[in-house]
Amino acid sequence: MHRRRLSRLARMAFAVGWPLADGLRDVPLVFVSRHGETPRTFAILSDLAEEQPLSPTQFSLSVHNAVIGLWSIMRGETCEMSAIAASADGFEQGLLEAAGLLHDGAPAVLLIIVEEQPPAAYRDWVDDVPFDYALGLLLTPGNSWSLALGKQDATNPVVVSEPHALSWLRNLLTGQAGWTHAGKRRTWHWQHKP
Amino acid sequence: MSVPQQDLNRDIKLLIIEALGLEDISSQDIDDDQPLFGEGLGLDSVDALELGLAIQKKYGIKIDADAKDTRNHFTSVTSLAAFVTAKQAA
Repeated sequence: MHRRRLSRLARMAFAVGWPLADGLRDVPLVFVSRHGETPRTFAILSDLAEEQPLSPTQFSLSVHNAVIGLWSIMRGETCEMSAIAASADGFEQGLLEAAGLLHDGAPAVLLIIVEEQPPAAYRDWVDDVPFDYALGLLLTPGNSWSLALGKQDATNPVVVSEPHALSWLRNLLTGQAGWTHAGKRRTWHWQHKP
Repeated sequence: MSVPQQDLNRDIKLLIIEALGLEDISSQDIDDDQPLFGEGLGLDSVDALELGLAIQKKYGIKIDADAKDTRNHFTSVTSLAAFVTAKQAA
C-alpha cells in the first residue's frame, strides 16, 4: 500500500537501491538529489497559484527526506539515513557523508544519487539534468579509491559537462586511474587503484 | 439497493482508487461495507484527508473535520454514500 506514494524519482531511487540492500539489515542510507521531486513542487505551487486546496498526500511528501522516510517504512529500517541537496557536487558531498558513517563503524553504507528532469517551467534554471538518472553504490571500507578536495583555478577553470555521478560511472567503466570533477569553486580529484 | 445508490457506491469507489492512487485494484475489489481504514482496505490518516478533499471537490459539499460523526461517515463506501446523499439533500 505504500508503493503508490512513490513518485517517479522515488521509484528510480528504490530501483537502484533495493537490489543492493537485498538481504542486508541496518545499512545506513545517504540519499542525494540536488533538485528533488520538482514535479511535486510544481504541482503544489500550481494548486496554490490557482487558490485550490493542497493535496494532503502531496504536502506530506513535499520534503527532501520523504523518499528516505518511505524507504524506512517499506523496509522496516530504523538505522541512520540522510537526505542531502548539495550543489553540482552532491555526489561527492554524499560520498563524504557515507565515508563518515563508514569511519564511524558502519560495515556498509548505501549511497543513492538521483535526479529527474524538472517540469518545463524550471528548465531555464535547472540545466544540469540531461536525462533522468539514478546511481546506487553499496560502499564498504577499503583503500582502492581516494577522493581529494581542491580549489578551482580561477584563471583556467576545469568544466565537467555531465553530472558527476555519470562522469564517475563513465570513468569507472573505461578504466581510468584518475580524473577531476570541478564545480564553480571546488574541485574533486578522484583516484582509482584497481 | 436502488440503481442510483449502486451508481453512487461505484463512483465513490472509483474516486477512492483515483484520488489515493491505489494500484492493482478495481472498484469490484472494494466491498460496500468493507472498512476503509486500518484493517480492511488499509487506508491511513493521510488518505483520510485526501479522500475528504476529493469528496468535497467532487460533490460540492463541506466536511467539518472536527465534527464528531465525520469519522463514522468515512467507515465504508456505504456510510460515505449515505453521507454524500444526506449532504446533497440538505
